[in-house]
Amino acid sequence: MLPPESSPNQAAPAPVPEMSRRSFLRSSAVLASGLAALAASLSPLRELGDYVSLERFMQKYYKELTPEDMAKVLKRIELEVERQYGIRPHVRDLKPMDGVEFVYALNLTRCIGCRKCVHACVAENNQSRNPEIQYIRVLRMPHGSLDIEKATHDYAPESVPEKGYFYMPVQCQQCRNPPCVKVCPVHATWQETDGITVIDYDWCIGCRYCEAACPYWARHFNFTQPSIPKDRLNPEMAYLGNRPRRQGVMEKCHFCIQRTRAGRYPACLEVCPAGARKFGNILDPASEVAYILRTKRVFIQLKEELGTSPRFFYYFDV
Amino acid sequence: MRRATRNYLVFLRRCALIAFVGDKRYYLWMGVLTVFCLLGLNAYAKQLVHGLITTGMSDEVSWGVYIANFTFLVGVAAAAVMMVIPVYIYDNEELHDLVIFGELLAVAAILMCLAFVTVDLGRPDRFWHLIPGLGQLNFPASMLSWDVIVLNGYLLLNVHICGYLLYCRYRDRKPSKWFYIPFVFVAIGWAVSIHTVTAFLYVGLGGRPFWNSSIVGPRFLASAFTAGPALIILALQIIRRVTEYRITNKALLTLRSIVQVSMLINVFLLVNEVFKEFYSGNLHVASSKYLYLGLHGYHALVPWIWTAIVFNVVAMVLLVLPLSRSLKWLNLTCVLCIVGIWIEKGMGLVIPGFIPTPLGAMAEYRPSLNETLICLGIWAFGLLCYTVFLRMAVPILQGRLSQANEGAPAAGLGEAATNPALEA
Amino acid sequence: MDDRQRTDGRSSRIKASLVLRGLVIMFGALVVAFLLNSWGRQPPLPAIPLVDPAFLSTATNRRSYADLVRAKEDLSDFDCYACHEKGKPPTLRFDEHQNLIIPQEHSDIVMGHGEHGRNNNCFNCHNENNLELLQTRDGRALKFQDSPQLCGSCHGPTYEDWEAGAHGRISGYWNRQLGPIKRQDCVNCHNPHSPTFQGRKPAPGPHALHPLPPVPAGAETAP
Repeated sequence: MLPPESSPNQAAPAPVPEMSRRSFLRSSAVLASGLAALAASLSPLRELGDYVSLERFMQKYYKELTPEDMAKVLKRIELEVERQYGIRPHVRDLKPMDGVEFVYALNLTRCIGCRKCVHACVAENNQSRNPEIQYIRVLRMPHGSLDIEKATHDYAPESVPEKGYFYMPVQCQQCRNPPCVKVCPVHATWQETDGITVIDYDWCIGCRYCEAACPYWARHFNFTQPSIPKDRLNPEMAYLGNRPRRQGVMEKCHFCIQRTRAGRYPACLEVCPAGARKFGNILDPASEVAYILRTKRVFIQLKEELGTSPRFFYYFDV
Repeated sequence: MRRATRNYLVFLRRCALIAFVGDKRYYLWMGVLTVFCLLGLNAYAKQLVHGLITTGMSDEVSWGVYIANFTFLVGVAAAAVMMVIPVYIYDNEELHDLVIFGELLAVAAILMCLAFVTVDLGRPDRFWHLIPGLGQLNFPASMLSWDVIVLNGYLLLNVHICGYLLYCRYRDRKPSKWFYIPFVFVAIGWAVSIHTVTAFLYVGLGGRPFWNSSIVGPRFLASAFTAGPALIILALQIIRRVTEYRITNKALLTLRSIVQVSMLINVFLLVNEVFKEFYSGNLHVASSKYLYLGLHGYHALVPWIWTAIVFNVVAMVLLVLPLSRSLKWLNLTCVLCIVGIWIEKGMGLVIPGFIPTPLGAMAEYRPSLNETLICLGIWAFGLLCYTVFLRMAVPILQGRLSQANEGAPAAGLGEAATNPALEA
Repeated sequence: MDDRQRTDGRSSRIKASLVLRGLVIMFGALVVAFLLNSWGRQPPLPAIPLVDPAFLSTATNRRSYADLVRAKEDLSDFDCYACHEKGKPPTLRFDEHQNLIIPQEHSDIVMGHGEHGRNNNCFNCHNENNLELLQTRDGRALKFQDSPQLCGSCHGPTYEDWEAGAHGRISGYWNRQLGPIKRQDCVNCHNPHSPTFQGRKPAPGPHALHPLPPVPAGAETAP
């Protein structure tokens, strides 16, 4: 709203002093030094290097890539990985199978807390070793309570299992009602028809809203360029799975999509010495997971009251 | 048409150039702000190169001071426009001029908000993924997508209103009601919405019981309407001091009454929150325990939150007493409000939501040097913007920068400010 | 404009020009400081040792006799009738507490299949008439490679789960049409003489990006 005509601020409208062109040039010393300081302040950007290329900047959303686009993208990824690690990988874009909905079941009577699953996952999925990213976190819980507040994450006894405790590994629960998918502002994460919640690493903007939303602390962020030892790189890769990620994007367990969509068990299951992990197609009544959910009297979904409806079930021997 | 464009370009050029003219206080102030901006820019360059590892954030506490400042400033932006209500709805003549100053503060605050969100992104080069049509904006499911739309819309709204009114004043023309009154009323509603949407960012997360509470939205608004007008009270006194623009004490006291009511509501809501968290003794109070009492031996936030509570309560008492009608006490009260609410929104809301983690692990968060420099840089940038806006707006409102004196030689001393470089 | 105003005006112009000069110097100092990059440098991350590859092994807990047979390995150590007489069941000896006395030739066996010395009769499982076979509870002879049936004759619910795949280790393909599976037998994990698993050293725990400072003494510790 403008002041009315008789406002006291209108009393003596003397023109405000302005700069003439001459004086502007005169103060060029300040301007020049200011601009020099501006340029110098940006000098760390000299090390930016491979941060973004035109091709990657313009890359379309996963669901909009035609098969030809995808072939080009996969080829580009293979070349980039080869340039960085010296190993030519095999990158595929595996599609979900029809009539398949993956479910994971974990036997809490059997888990001994050895953490082999954690490290097998890291090896299979090319996760950063430093800073450390691990999709699975094994919780040591005291007997008789599922209260997460009582969990210990950094137990390091001489021998597991320890008396008086049970062990509960937690990873992405591939929820049927995933909060992370709901909150992502750019649709960089979504759920596929076989139940796996995937991330398009080339679309994610790194806002970390999904990390705040996940009730299971399953989503992890690349705070810097991940470091994978060259001799431990797994060259069998999938676009939505274990291809190496870059700094600034999210990642999480994807049920070893490069294995499971080829019909194989995930790495965590294969390495578990106690056979505590079970995986399969819940829509197939002959699968072990269907058997478990049919016959076990008690199985638990973590934080069920939040309505996320996880596809991860913790069961016991009876 | 061409003449209109030319006129407008001349207006813009004169506004731009006037930002470089001032007295020694002006140069000192702008110089210091520029230095901080450059320090912040340099720190951000380092963050772009190395990633967000240069901050104190981690997977455990994945949002920090950037989002804390963003949350606080959205409140300031919302509140700045809410001052408009007494003017238009209660037809308070005294506040007419000040609405422009409030809206300019809103513009500066929104620019700061956008800057804070951008520096928080892991891949800012992919910002275009957020543009509807070009990218894949997840509207209406994601509250962040709502935030993108409402914040940018609010910016455009305020830029239009201020720009239109100032340009009309520059051309000494009566502004046409249809070009701004409807926008002002939309801005009032929109102001509430930007802060509610920001609150819903937190409230909608079922996995974080500290945030998943219906009191967060009302508390956001109450604290915003305390801190925002408090900032404006201080800003107006500064404007009064450095320019010759006349601002009556009555205007300041009207703003004081807004702060008074809002702070009373804010403290009341705090009592509600604390009672709900602690009385029933259920297990979801770990984050509140960490904040107010410390948890498992970690208590970094406890001194901060209690300082904020003391500041807020003292400010509330002062606001209720007639003592705060005197400017000295009012200014102290405003500072207490602003600092108390900044702590509440930052350390008292964002950080405890992450501690303990959803899997029960403890973590602590401390901003790094780089993070702090970037925050200071963005605050300096916001103050720089606001100063420039005022540097343009005050002379226009005073009639000293108008179309009438285009091309007139720089004469007279006006506001005791001459550019020494004008010396022949 | 009177004289006082003129000198005031001039002194304020001089002060302003001093400020501007100060700014030029400040910006120059900033240029140097930025190029020297003397703060905010990213410190190197503390080293995290790579995990011991033994933790990545998918090998089973043990290899059973049937595995050795399948792999056609040297079975001379397992030739029962190199020492025992065909057709003559070996005698078992017990001490005064009814505990089985393990003969020194079989000293590598530790009997622990049942608490309180239950199930300490070798011929509950081994076939005394033909030491190269096992026997079920109702006396039927059973080949070593079919041992799960024997385990299942006491451990019924576990055996049912094992058949369905809910107990024990299966590796390979969940989609049986795309590839084979390998289902481990009971004895690939459990030592039949002493089935309880030994404890083992766990793999290293997680390393946080910003590790927590240690809790001050006397404070309530994390569980």
